[in-house]
Amino acid sequence: MRYIEILKERYQLLTKYIGILIMASSMFLLLPLLSLPFYPKEVKYSYAFFVPAIIMFTIGFIAWKYTKHNREEVSLSLKEGGIIVLISWIVTVISSAIPFMMIDMLNLTQAIFESMSGWTTTGLSVVDVTEAPKVILLWRSIMQFFGGAGLVVVMLSSVLHPYGFGLYNAEGRSDQLLPHVKRSTKAIMVIYSGYTIGGILLYILAGMSFFDAFNHSLAALSTGGFSTKANSIGYYNSLSIEIITWILMLIGTTNFATHFALLKGNFKVFFKNGEIRLLMLLNAFFIPILMYFSVNNIYDTLPQVVRRTIFETITAISTTGFSLDTFNSWNLFGILIIIILMLIGGGTGSTAGGIKLYRIYIIFKSIYWEIKGYFLPEDAVRKNFIWRGEKKLALKSDFVMEAANYVVLYISTYFLGVLIFLSQGYNLSDSMFEFASALGTVGLSVGITSVDAPSLILWTETLGMFLGRLEFFVIFFAIIKIFKDMKYYYANK
Amino acid sequence: MYVVIIGCGKTGSAIADLLSKNGENVVVIDKKSISFEKLSPDFTGFTINGDATELSILLESKIDKADMVIVTTEIDSVNSMVSQIAKYIYEVPKVIVKINEPDKAIIYRNTDIMTLSPTDLFIDKLRYRLAKEGSGTLNEESLS
Repeated sequence: MRYIEILKERYQLLTKYIGILIMASSMFLLLPLLSLPFYPKEVKYSYAFFVPAIIMFTIGFIAWKYTKHNREEVSLSLKEGGIIVLISWIVTVISSAIPFMMIDMLNLTQAIFESMSGWTTTGLSVVDVTEAPKVILLWRSIMQFFGGAGLVVVMLSSVLHPYGFGLYNAEGRSDQLLPHVKRSTKAIMVIYSGYTIGGILLYILAGMSFFDAFNHSLAALSTGGFSTKANSIGYYNSLSIEIITWILMLIGTTNFATHFALLKGNFKVFFKNGEIRLLMLLNAFFIPILMYFSVNNIYDTLPQVVRRTIFETITAISTTGFSLDTFNSWNLFGILIIIILMLIGGGTGSTAGGIKLYRIYIIFKSIYWEIKGYFLPEDAVRKNFIWRGEKKLALKSDFVMEAANYVVLYISTYFLGVLIFLSQGYNLSDSMFEFASALGTVGLSVGITSVDAPSLILWTETLGMFLGRLEFFVIFFAIIKIFKDMKYYYANK
Repeated sequence: MYVVIIGCGKTGSAIADLLSKNGENVVVIDKKSISFEKLSPDFTGFTINGDATELSILLESKIDKADMVIVTTEIDSVNSMVSQIAKYIYEVPKVIVKINEPDKAIIYRNTDIMTLSPTDLFIDKLRYRLAKEGSGTLNEESLS
């Protein structure tokens, strides 16, 4: 009986937290309206943002205000944080989909897909960017910007009490920069916004209009990849814009803790970082073979080949999803390499998706250590280190196990998704490409994702993006906990 | 405020929770990694697993930038050494040390290190209470 009381109290606390998060996230919906003074013709669309914002705010306010809660200042466990993260993400994604539906651009499935693609920084799109109003384009970029940092990070840096450390760990952005979670999240937002402003300026210098520069900078740093042009970055056909995009994508895919070390001038730590090393190694390895065996057949001149290959390699591994052209003319060799890069993905604690460089790195390192250990004397004492953020970390076998479990889970889900694609009659390489792109929150497409795509495909991708962004386990833990608690509650009522 | 806490025992972990909850930057050092399990979910600072008598560990905690160092290990000689390193080598503005054996308070005489002894605090509190009740030989006047 007493446990039921406690359970009730805890869920009341959770509801309160979710209420605060929903209220705050309704504010995001108002941000695109700031552009209306510059585009007065689009005032007619403002209701599409006001209405959901007001609805969400009211729901959040009711949840926050009218939930009984006795004790102040209670901490959250990781599992409870998981529930809050899961529910606030779902609510935010749904509310962000409403503007697309209200101006009759997309139906329910497509709107949820687009909103999920935005918040998870994927970049797969069913919106026709040539006809979409500017506020809608802006809204897509804003979703990616905040989705990149993460809902909880944004909230913790501004409105939320820092008691919810469980929240921070639950969102898959677990590296801390400073020894306090509030300052840490603030530092992340400062670094992130700083780079974004830098990106906007660079794009303007390279000749983009302010509107395009703003949208592309947000989408590149969040490794999102929504573009305001149908041909993405390829529209500009400008080397300087491409180089800026390379840099922004690479910055976006680097862990914020690593950035923090770099910005403090700690270059030694930066280059010792396993993720940075692996990123450089993968680029150095895949770019030449991709050039020689695949892209070489498409273009006539060497500079074209080099530009295309470097761009597509970085966009795939950083899970951004900007593109220079379609992949229709690529041979299977090139397609598979891009798929592998998309599966590997970017750095932990960055805005990227995929399996993450860190996990790949420690699994390969542990293979190396195992082989090395075989040749050492039996009772040799070994201590294995890796560099993470600013710290040298002793690697326990638990970490390797966690990483290996994650990889297996990721790959299983991946093949399950590919099977669903195949059942709808798509061919193997297209299916593998498209679902790797969705699960890794990349956003490159071979053309399956479009307005005409069957809704089963869109929902599969939506779920894939969600699982990939929140890194599976949080979602599983939260759902299992909710079910267990509900079962207990109804069995003992 | 940037606070380094050395020793994550009953005292150290409670202080770390308190300060972290109040929004300070907190780093805790302890020899045994199992000690960090005492920290509550309120604690959002860093933990360093290592021996605080080693300079490399102290430097890892960025003790040179600390505004306050609180030394709470169980061994007085470690406490005295670490607190003096903090005060006189790294010139930390505020160093607070826990004294386990009240006789050892003499170590810190004529230093700028602030000392707190749980035993003395217990005695003081007891004296205060007894005096308030006005029982026995203790009375209000004897408090001064």
